[in-house]
Amino acid sequence: MVEKILKLFNSDLKVINIGLEIFKNDLESQKVSVVQVSWQPYPKLEKEYEDILSKIL
Amino acid sequence: MKTNYYRDSLQLLHLSEEAKKIEGVKDAAVVMATSTNKEILSKLKLLTNEGLNASSTDLIIAVLADSESAINHGINRIDASLTQPPTSKGRFYTIEAALQSMPDANLAIVSIPGEHARRIVTSLLEKGLNVQLFSDHVSQEDEFELKNLAKSKGLLVMGPGAGTSIIAGKAIAFANVVRKGNVGIVAAAGTGLQEVSVLVNDGGLGVSQALGTGGGDVKDQIGGITTLQAIEALERDTSTSIIVIVSKPPDPTVKKKILDYATQSTSKPVVTCFLGAEWSPNTIVNGTRIYSTRTLHAAVLETLKHVASPATIDSISMLPNELFAIVDEVRKGLKARQRYVRGLYTGGTLAYEALVILNQLVGRVYSNAPVNSSFKLRNSSESFKDSVLDLGEEEFTLGRAHPMIDPTVRQLRLIEEARDPEVAVIIMDIMLGYGSHPDPAGAMCDSISQAQMIAKNDDRVLPILAHVCGTDQDPQRRSDQIGRLQTVGVRTFSTNALMVAASALISRRDITLATLNEFYKQFLDTSQGK
Repeated sequence: MVEKILKLFNSDLKVINIGLEIFKNDLESQKVSVVQVSWQPYPKLEKEYEDILSKIL
Repeated sequence: MKTNYYRDSLQLLHLSEEAKKIEGVKDAAVVMATSTNKEILSKLKLLTNEGLNASSTDLIIAVLADSESAINHGINRIDASLTQPPTSKGRFYTIEAALQSMPDANLAIVSIPGEHARRIVTSLLEKGLNVQLFSDHVSQEDEFELKNLAKSKGLLVMGPGAGTSIIAGKAIAFANVVRKGNVGIVAAAGTGLQEVSVLVNDGGLGVSQALGTGGGDVKDQIGGITTLQAIEALERDTSTSIIVIVSKPPDPTVKKKILDYATQSTSKPVVTCFLGAEWSPNTIVNGTRIYSTRTLHAAVLETLKHVASPATIDSISMLPNELFAIVDEVRKGLKARQRYVRGLYTGGTLAYEALVILNQLVGRVYSNAPVNSSFKLRNSSESFKDSVLDLGEEEFTLGRAHPMIDPTVRQLRLIEEARDPEVAVIIMDIMLGYGSHPDPAGAMCDSISQAQMIAKNDDRVLPILAHVCGTDQDPQRRSDQIGRLQTVGVRTFSTNALMVAASALISRRDITLATLNEFYKQFLDTSQGK
């Protein structure tokens, strides 16, 4: 079951970069389409709030 | 000091470099206050008591300047850069928003702290994306779960800890610019993938796809899930005509699984290089031949034999007597007490290849990441006899950018090694390609000159050898990098394996040509076993 992987090999790359921006810049310089997701650690919450949030999200 | 203030190590490295350019600032560093960083700040005379007491979740801004006002000016400028809001063009704060902007995305690169990776990667897989997972410190349970989820969806999770792939002709993260061709590579070893792809390029061939699986993939707990998927995909990929598999020693059951799968389910030639693993002879089953090699160098020569002309093989290799002739020149003037090799590596797989070769040619070699755990350095910050360091290991990188990007750790270590009168030769890798330092050779030149001056003042010579792993198409341009090294007297080699073999001959002047010939047959020249 590797059809999707073969499709990746044979398509233009379209990349979502989450984290280090250097990877986005390097791909752009190779003319690859990239969008950047800025990531920050989740704030530390009390466990009960975290449980409530994870239910909501 | 800023308490509980996170910025990623690359951003901080960039800020540190910018800070050094501020008028009146003599030296500066902006780092997370990990123990590794505090130790380095102390060596750079940038550690104050406040910094010493900071915890690893705090951020230190350290500035060295001649006056209080210059220090304050420097700190204020750095602080302003830290808190500057990012530009918003092409930037999103959720995966959903990013996908709305790019609904046909087919790959995600994830480089966030490992403990947060599971949630993000699961979400990406659910949305049908393949994932290159650069993050380290992802638990085996998480890796196993993510890879199984990916497999069930027919997708790849390349990683965790996988910083190198070449997909559809594009270099992902830490990869080199090589020509497109028919060699498919599967690697549980990042700089192994880089070395193989670069040498394949040097040999006149090209790469169809090169897939980094992450080192953990070949452990029992994971069972080679991604490796097997990648082999299957390369077998089906019409532009691939030969498959190269590279790894540090897989767990034996996983190695068997990989070999069994390759034997039974592929029709293309398969070249394996399980560095440091027990060597398996070549096998032919159902017309598929599995070629077994012991070094990255040998894996590429074997590959070239199947799909290139013999002339191209000469372009990367060197005969034993040619190597001897070079070494004879380099080792002139060494003192009798200079008898040890010191390896200062930024690439983990290349360090491992060095250990495999030196174990064969000089015997016991110590390391912070040894082949045999009995030869683990007691203290990574102090070399012992023959030592090879992987400076990308955690003890050197906690809260810092990898040494392929930030040369500071190696610069400092080189000076320390140069002070040791028993060192005969220093070897190092210079890794080019996307992701790496923009001028890794240039960044080492001052320290190299300083190291040679230390030796000269002690009435010694100190040969320094390098292997530049990269191509002229890489952003750093290999020929420029080699030129820089040559101006400070460094001898460069076309492969890591040749450099390491040369270092063995420099440190052990009693190795004969006959011994070297035998080594070549087993480790470099793959015609054996056919």
